[in-house]
Amino acid sequence: MDLMHHSSTFLLPSSPVDGHRPPLTYALVLLNQSLPRFTPLLWEHAGLHLCADGGANRLFDEMPLFFPKENASDVRRRYKPDAIKGDMDSIRKDVLDFYKSIGTKIIDKSHDQDTTDLHKCVTYIRDSSSDVNKSNLCILVAGALGGRFDHEIGNLNVLCCFASLRIVLLSNDSLVYLLPRTHRHEIHIQASVEGPHCGLIPLGMPSSSSTTTGLRWNLNNTEMKFGGLVSTSNIVEGEKVTVLSDSDLLWTISIKKLWSEITLVPS
Amino acid sequence: MDLMHHSSTFLLPTMPEDQRPSLTYALVVLNQSLPRFTPLIWKHAQFRLCADGGANRVYDEIPLLFPQEDASGVRRRYKPDIIEGDMDSIRKEVLDFYTRLGTKIVDKTHDQDTTDLHKCVTCVRDFAPGLDECNLCILVAGALGGRFDHEMGNLNVICHFSSLRIILLSDDNLIHLLPRTHRHEIHIQTSVQGPHCGLIPIGMPSRSSTTTGLQWDLDNTEMKFGGLVNTSNIVEGDNVTVESDCDLLWTISLKKLS
Repeated sequence: MDLMHHSSTFLLPSSPVDGHRPPLTYALVLLNQSLPRFTPLLWEHAGLHLCADGGANRLFDEMPLFFPKENASDVRRRYKPDAIKGDMDSIRKDVLDFYKSIGTKIIDKSHDQDTTDLHKCVTYIRDSSSDVNKSNLCILVAGALGGRFDHEIGNLNVLCCFASLRIVLLSNDSLVYLLPRTHRHEIHIQASVEGPHCGLIPLGMPSSSSTTTGLRWNLNNTEMKFGGLVSTSNIVEGEKVTVLSDSDLLWTISIKKLWSEITLVPS
Repeated sequence: MDLMHHSSTFLLPTMPEDQRPSLTYALVVLNQSLPRFTPLIWKHAQFRLCADGGANRVYDEIPLLFPQEDASGVRRRYKPDIIEGDMDSIRKEVLDFYTRLGTKIVDKTHDQDTTDLHKCVTCVRDFAPGLDECNLCILVAGALGGRFDHEMGNLNVICHFSSLRIILLSDDNLIHLLPRTHRHEIHIQTSVQGPHCGLIPIGMPSRSSTTTGLQWDLDNTEMKFGGLVNTSNIVEGDNVTVESDCDLLWTISLKKLS
């Protein structure tokens, strides 16, 4: 079974160079919730920026608030999404017109009611990437948690549907991604920005056997399921967590409440 | 298979007298910002319990919902029966205030194996006088949002206590379990809830689920994470029925009224 590495370097001001593994290429998707405080940082790391429908309203309204000393219009031009995609029932007309006027691609999917906004964005990014790039691709998503619960669950289901893609859901409090059962996992903890609270969640399917290292309460061929044991309120100890399971698990870790100033990657 | 009725009459200003089934409500307040309708569900409950830092929330935030009144008067009126938990979040002045008022303090610092909500559910079962489990409904504020692992832990509590009615509430959502042991009839209070809803096979794939009353009904439909999960559905009318081979979470949006 192959090893899969995970590291939240997208939460650090500049990505460390790691000679052992090729760097990941990030794409950023903004959904329709209040932007996490570290959104400018994620934006800087990403090579592709996408808003799902009302996520464009959030970008337009809230990004200037991170730069109160600057002219709002300049901030909006600097933080210009490459595309806005979705069924367009939430985006305001003034926001749509603004981004159109500065060259953002508008992809109207109002005819497609069968998939969630996040699902549409992930397929767009996947289809825009070559096979070579897909293995190094990591899709960062802001605004997928909180708000309407059925939306949150629909977003978690997108992680499960695209189990071979790296997709990370981010909020001010938490980070969530899938650990597919096809791999052993090594999670490198960036202790300056994340932890110590964490969990492993057998979403949608019981796990007959999961084993971990690096947690305060490790699993050891332990069974997990909803209605029984689900590993929450666990604590990371040290810098590395390993996970092996017969089932897809969600990994979640808390994000530290730092950032009195946003530290950006130099452009 | 027996029929189980569900109705969110606790979200109405006054509950109809002939409501079926006739339920007794307990309220649990966890450590998140209080939903705006907290005074309403407080009023309907016969037993009120704060989990640790939930007491800070009651102390700080209920007076804000009554800005014309004296804060101290509001706090005395909204006095929890019990504050329970490991006491690592409650502020000292809040603990002292409620202790003086006569709130029972149940210190569970030794028990690190279960979540705050789990402890509260067992506490309600143990302490609430004369409450018959089949007529009991536990309303929970503050179980959603915040840390994701906490939210999942809280969902696991409602799966674990599948024979108890436990309803998770936030400003935007209402969630409860539909155990597979019953057919379900959900009466929609359209003045306060809907239309967005969903059915979620949270712990286990469902080979067959069937509904009526939704815009996109299920008909012996398979549901699982990684495949179809019924979200962004719409209630049509005021009655939804659900039958499944699997425990499902039912979720419905709450309307943003004043």
